[in-house]
Amino acid sequence: MDAAIKVENLKKSYGNITVLNDVNISVKRGEVFGLLGANGAGKSTAIECILGTRKPDKGRVRILGMDPAEDRKKLFENVGVQFQESSCQDNILVSELCEETQCLYKDTADYKALLGQFGLSEKIKSPVSALSGGQKQRLFIVLSLIPNPKVVFLDELTTGLDTKARRDVWKCLSQLKEKGLTIFLTSHFMDEVEALCDKIMILKKGNAVFSGTIKEAVENSPYKNFEDVYLWYAEEETADENI
Amino acid sequence: MKTFKTMLKTELKLSFRGMDMFIFAICIPVAVIVLLGIIYGNKPAFEGAEYTFLQQSFGAVSTIAIGAGGLMGLPLVVSDYRNRKILKRFKVTPVRPVVILLVEVTIYSIYALASLALIYITAFCFFDFRMVGSFAEFLLSFLLVMLSMFSIGMMVGGIAPNIKMAGTIASILYFPMLIFSGATLPYEIMPAVLQRVADILPLTQGIKLLKGTSLDLPLDNIFFPVVLMVIIIIVCTGISLKFFRWE
Repeated sequence: MDAAIKVENLKKSYGNITVLNDVNISVKRGEVFGLLGANGAGKSTAIECILGTRKPDKGRVRILGMDPAEDRKKLFENVGVQFQESSCQDNILVSELCEETQCLYKDTADYKALLGQFGLSEKIKSPVSALSGGQKQRLFIVLSLIPNPKVVFLDELTTGLDTKARRDVWKCLSQLKEKGLTIFLTSHFMDEVEALCDKIMILKKGNAVFSGTIKEAVENSPYKNFEDVYLWYAEEETADENI
Repeated sequence: MKTFKTMLKTELKLSFRGMDMFIFAICIPVAVIVLLGIIYGNKPAFEGAEYTFLQQSFGAVSTIAIGAGGLMGLPLVVSDYRNRKILKRFKVTPVRPVVILLVEVTIYSIYALASLALIYITAFCFFDFRMVGSFAEFLLSFLLVMLSMFSIGMMVGGIAPNIKMAGTIASILYFPMLIFSGATLPYEIMPAVLQRVADILPLTQGIKLLKGTSLDLPLDNIFFPVVLMVIIIIVCTGISLKFFRWE
C-alpha cells in the first residue's frame, strides 16, 4: 500500500542558512509519526513545506498520493491541520468557530461529538477567548478533526496542557489511530512521543540525525531512557564541543 | 455556496458584536442627515439654486459608510486576520483564503447599502427629500465609488506589514477624507483654499460624482471623477494582487 505521507529530498534554505537539508520521510497509513528536534531545528518549516504553505527549494512531497500544492482542493478534504500558536477571530464562540470550519468541507464529523470527546461540551457557547490555554489547544485539535481526515498534522500537540489533559488527548488520538488515522506530530515531550509514536525522526539544524522506531533509537545510543537518547541525538555536537 | 453563506452569517455576527461599524456606518450617517435636515430644512443650496441643501448633501452623506468600511474596517480586518494566522489556516483547507476576504467585502457592502437605504428613508419621510437625478444612475455611481474605496482598503490591509501599521495608514486615509472630502462637513461651505486641498482626496471626487448623478448635473462634471474611480480600482487591485501578504 502507498505511504500516506512521502517526502523525498526536501531542501529549504533562507538566504545562506539551510533550514532543511535533504529530508526524507515515509509514513504508512495508520502510523503515528513524530518529528522531533530543538526549537529552530526546522520542524515547523518541514511541516509547512510538506503542507505546501511554503515552497521547498527542492524535493517532492506526496500526501495520500497527491501533491499538496497542486491538488490542494482535493487533498485538504482529507487532511486536518493544527498549526502551532493557532488563533481565531476576536469574540467568536466555540460553536461558531466549529461551524465556520465545518462549512469548508464536503464530508464532516459531528463537531459536537468531537467536543464531547475532548471534554469541551460545556464550552460550546463560550467565546474562544474565554477558554484556558489547554482548552484552546484541545479545541484546535477538534477543528483539525472536523473534516474526518485520513491524515492529521499536529504541530506542538500538547504544549500548554496539564498532565491530565495531555493524557486525555493521548487517549483520544490512540483511539483515532486504531480507526486508521495517520498522524504526523511534533512535540517537545518525550513521554508523549514514547506513548504515541510508531516512528520518529530527530532533526538537528535541518538534518535528520535519526529516523526509525523508538526502539531502534534507544538501541543505537548509549542510553536507556528515551529522553536521554533524544538529547544524545539532538545535542551530540554541543556535547563534543564541550570536551 | 454553503461555505460562503455560513461564513457570511458568522462574520456578520462577529461584526455586529464589534459594534464599531454599526456606529460609524449606520448611526453617524443617519445622525448627519437628521442634523442637516433640521438645520437647513428645505432651503435651497444657494441663492437661486434649483435644488435644496439636503439634496446637495445627500450624495456626500451616503459615502460615510463607504469610507468607514473601505478605509477603516477592511484594512483592519484583513491585517488582523493575517496577524492571527486565520488566512494561513485557510491555506490548508479546500477553500482558498481569498473567500474569507470576499466575505468581508460583502459585509462592508451590506453596511454601505444598508446605510444608503436608511438615510434615503429618513430624508424621504422626515425632510421631504426627493432625488433630482435618476436613482439607477446614482446607485451605479455609488457602487463605483464603493469599489474604489474598498480597493484602497484591500491594498492597505494586504500590504501593511502589521496591524499597527494598517491602523495608522487607515487613520491617515479615513479621518481626513471623512472631514474634508465633504462627507460630513459640506464641501460647499468650505473656504476656496480648503476646497482646493480637498480636491486631492479621492473621496472628494467620488462625492462629486455622486452629487453629479443625484442632482442630474451636466455630464462634463462627472467625467473626471468616473475616470479617477476606475483608475483607483485598477491600480489598487493590481497592487493587492501582486503584493498581498497572506502571512
